[in-house]
Amino acid sequence: MTKAFVGWRLIALYAGLALIVVLLLLGSGVQPATAGARLWEGAFGSPQAWRGTLRQMMPLLFAGLSVFIALRAGLFNIGAEGQLLIGALATAMTALTLQGPVGMVVGIVVGVLAGALWTLPAGLIKAYRGGHEVITTIMLNNIALLVTGALVAGPLKAPDKQMPTTPMLDTAARLPSLLRLESANGTTWTFGSPEDPGIRALGRLAFEMNLAIPLGVILIGAFGWWLGRSVRGYEVGAMGENPVAARFAGIDTRRTTVAALAASGGAAGLGGALLVLGQEGRFFAGFSPGYGFDALGVAILAGSSPLGIVPAAFVFGALNKGALSLQVIDVPKGITGVILGLLIVAFAAARVREARNDD
Amino acid sequence: MTDFVRIFLPTAVSLAAPLMLAAMGGYLSERSGVINIALEGKMLMAACAAALAASSSGNAAAGVAIGIVAALLMSGAHWLFTQVYRLDHIVSGMALNLVAVGGSNFLNKRFTDLSAMGQIPQLPLPVYYALAFTLPVALLVIATRTRPGLRMLAVGSDPAKSRQMGVEPLRVRLLGLVGTGLCTGLAGVLIVSNAGRFTDGMTGGKGYIALAALILGRWRPVPAAAAALLFGMFEALQIQFQGTALLGARLPSEFWLCIPYVVTIVAMAGLLGHSRAPAGLGKP
Amino acid sequence: MTPTVEFRAISKRFGDVRALEDVSMSVRQGEIHAVLGENGAGKTTLMRVLYGAVRPDAGEVLLDGRAHAFRNSAEAIHAGVGMVSQHYSIIPEITCLENLMLGAEPGFAIAPRPSIDRAEAIAQRMGFQFDWKARADTLSPGGAQKLEILKLLWRRSRILVLDEPTAMLSPDDADALYASLRQLAQDGATVLVVTHRTREVVTHCDRATVLRAGRVVASLDVKDADASTLAKHIIGHPLAELPPRPMTNASGPGLTLRSVWVKGDRGDDAVRGVDLRLEPGEVVGLAGVDGSGQRELFQALIGVRKIERGDVLVGDRSLAHAPSAQRIAAGIRLIPEDRHLEGVIERWSLEANAMLGLQRRQELRSGPWVATGARRRLAEEVVARFDTRFGKLSDPIASLSGGNQQRLVAARALARDAQVILAFQPARGLDLDSTQRVYNAIREACDHGACALVVSFDLDELLEYCGRVAAIYSGVLRSPGAGAERDRYAIGRLMVGADA
Repeated sequence: MTKAFVGWRLIALYAGLALIVVLLLLGSGVQPATAGARLWEGAFGSPQAWRGTLRQMMPLLFAGLSVFIALRAGLFNIGAEGQLLIGALATAMTALTLQGPVGMVVGIVVGVLAGALWTLPAGLIKAYRGGHEVITTIMLNNIALLVTGALVAGPLKAPDKQMPTTPMLDTAARLPSLLRLESANGTTWTFGSPEDPGIRALGRLAFEMNLAIPLGVILIGAFGWWLGRSVRGYEVGAMGENPVAARFAGIDTRRTTVAALAASGGAAGLGGALLVLGQEGRFFAGFSPGYGFDALGVAILAGSSPLGIVPAAFVFGALNKGALSLQVIDVPKGITGVILGLLIVAFAAARVREARNDD
Repeated sequence: MTDFVRIFLPTAVSLAAPLMLAAMGGYLSERSGVINIALEGKMLMAACAAALAASSSGNAAAGVAIGIVAALLMSGAHWLFTQVYRLDHIVSGMALNLVAVGGSNFLNKRFTDLSAMGQIPQLPLPVYYALAFTLPVALLVIATRTRPGLRMLAVGSDPAKSRQMGVEPLRVRLLGLVGTGLCTGLAGVLIVSNAGRFTDGMTGGKGYIALAALILGRWRPVPAAAAALLFGMFEALQIQFQGTALLGARLPSEFWLCIPYVVTIVAMAGLLGHSRAPAGLGKP
Repeated sequence: MTPTVEFRAISKRFGDVRALEDVSMSVRQGEIHAVLGENGAGKTTLMRVLYGAVRPDAGEVLLDGRAHAFRNSAEAIHAGVGMVSQHYSIIPEITCLENLMLGAEPGFAIAPRPSIDRAEAIAQRMGFQFDWKARADTLSPGGAQKLEILKLLWRRSRILVLDEPTAMLSPDDADALYASLRQLAQDGATVLVVTHRTREVVTHCDRATVLRAGRVVASLDVKDADASTLAKHIIGHPLAELPPRPMTNASGPGLTLRSVWVKGDRGDDAVRGVDLRLEPGEVVGLAGVDGSGQRELFQALIGVRKIERGDVLVGDRSLAHAPSAQRIAAGIRLIPEDRHLEGVIERWSLEANAMLGLQRRQELRSGPWVATGARRRLAEEVVARFDTRFGKLSDPIASLSGGNQQRLVAARALARDAQVILAFQPARGLDLDSTQRVYNAIREACDHGACALVVSFDLDELLEYCGRVAAIYSGVLRSPGAGAERDRYAIGRLMVGADA
């Protein structure tokens, strides 16, 4: 098979995928240009739009890192969604019980641990029984969804609320803002104080960013450094590329598998924790609109370097946020699901080609 | 006892039939070597397309046909991605699921005629049930007694060696995935027929439960169908016991819904005997 | 007379490598024709052209005077070509009967009874017996080879191509195989045998074509040639004699195996009570038919398979239950059987691969971090050892030819304090010159106090390079009796358990 032929096939694929998107836009009853403009406006058109995009991006940063860590170790963590939910619920309960900044800090730790623990069945079954982690993590996702749903509708439900949700957290237990803009009367930039639900309820909050995104970026950078420079990172990468050769090279692939999945689950759990502490302020039924599934796309879009997670999560966040504005002009939000799915295919196809050129 | 026969059994069977069909769909693709986590998406697309076609044409057969065509298209894309473009099977499956969730939402929101709601004409359900119960046996016979069956098992075990013997894995897998499209298409049509109308995400994880049944049945058609039937019964139990106290405690319905997933994990932990996937799964 | 098979000016390149260059040869009906050459000479590629698995860049293949351009194996099979590849194409998960039929089923529906009848008829013609309903993973290597031949007959192939058919067979099984082939040739089949074993060619074949570096260098009647003439054609230049080994009083820990038992994949006892002592400085060859327990023994020694009973000692330190990392730290090094699968990480650079297995050594790290300077020096040392030919150290190892990859893997195993060298077919994919250099390097390491255990399926190779040869059959290790230490047939009988 010649390179040119492969190239043509790739172009054919892209043309096909693009055609689907165009048909979709035409079918939506809106001018594609109008839809595009709306999408852009919705994602970047105002401080509020930016805030929404960043809010959508934040959990994807951590869930994307989660999937990425597992991928480096040669494992598919389809379970980021479940780990994120479990982490979020654990954090919410801890922070509600302990209250204040202590609740926040301990809550983060508990959320990370909960996410990590939730991967243990998958890790142990993969390492000691050879059962595929994709299947186990899918099952664990469904269990997490059902269990958190049952808990928040039952024993953990806020007594004064109709909806299945936990009570709201105090401001003191929430993540402080780095930057806040109130635009009701002129512009007021504030630093350091947490997002005030009161202001938000009044609709005066224009832009807010807390520690979560910088933390995620730092964590991603640190992971990349560790992966490339440390002996353990070398071993994890070796296992991801060739588990058999890794075993012959003295690497304990069983323990590494369990540890890598736990680390992956921890990152997703952290995402859930920060989602509770920094954005939602509570846990409720239907907490995640599928961050854990989008995360797989983020990790694939990221390519081979962990730093790629940041722009990938940003693109996904912007698309998700923009889709909400499309709904206003009667374009169903499902359109972004299709686009994201096709985007994953397009990127994965390009990467297959890269890998082939190596040999 | 009569309640059991009159109410529980039909409920269980109507809940199990789509699972059995989808599990057979999974059997055909996984046995030919294509990892299939996209059963869910294929059923969802089929359900959505069937609902739209049936309610707009007023013709049940058209609904069934269009539903199956939708699942076939998804399966065709699955084949194209995994076999022609050699994408990772899991990535392809996830992408297809994303497309299905988004696409069905889009089509449904955009093209459903609100005035015609609830008017989905239905084929007689016994047709589907007969299919769900005869298909596993038919597949068993096909797998062990026919040329395409033998080639499917061979390619699923070792595509490279099969190619040496003059069997083209690409073609065998296309056939397998067409079979998957037919089965999941029927399953999706059945789900929407049961419900009477399409709602977002209405397959509700049934594709994953079907996959679980396939694993529990160790990638063999009859045991996989039996596992799917069992899972259908658990779901029926959940409806039966909803709100009633059992052993002094009121169990939330989620408890019953969890059972298939938990059983699968327990099975994969090797506590229910050893389960081995086809050796050629995911190999080019 | 029109030749049954004729290659006309076949050329084929893979990337920068010329696999075949203007190759022409012809094969007559009813003969056993040997295609000889070293590893990498292009023999297998040429046969794959005939079998439709490789498409040539130039030239054509004629069968009975008619040109064919096969696009895939199915077309070649249809034209009457059948091929048995070196690693067999038997699928273990399906039955012997299903393997026999695969790709040439009698019809859409497969009725077991008539199929078994026909299978039996074919088997009887060759004097073989099979349990047709048994799964194919129950077959011995000899049985698998027989089933492969029956597969060709089932398809009514009239041109039979066998790639290194005796690689995994004992000398007696190999003789039996050639007897079967002779019978088929007398019945009108045309047989092509790819091999590098000149001894077999002289005894069993009619004509031979010798390839070297992708070109035909000789085409001759076997009756006009002897083994050494053939060898000269294959190699091109005479091999340097092995230097005699100087006596050394090297000191090292040596390796001791005390009644080692290891289970195979199917829970059977793959290694049964092996006792062995390797003194410092010793190179011991482990002869045996493939699948006799060598693989499991090596995996158990490096620590990726459990030792059920018995003990393994390096010096007087017991390592039977130590993790692999500790064994590597104690000086055990492996040249693995399957380089792609077990030895390298193909997408990684040469530099990263040079460290694989040694990554925990003190001098290659500073605390938890990789010491990049030391890593580079190690990589330079490793590639220099056997003149690995490469572009840059940062190139992916997959960009190297198979032989160069094997050089790197062998050099890596010999670098840095190797005390016990476990070599599984260390010369796989190497030409004779490099083979000699790799063995010399192993011997040199042993002169400095290491010891080596070498597995090869080529008994002659072991006899040539090892100080002592033991045989393993069905998991039991046996040494030849006094006076028979270098007797090819005595060891051959041990390899098949004939002297038990």
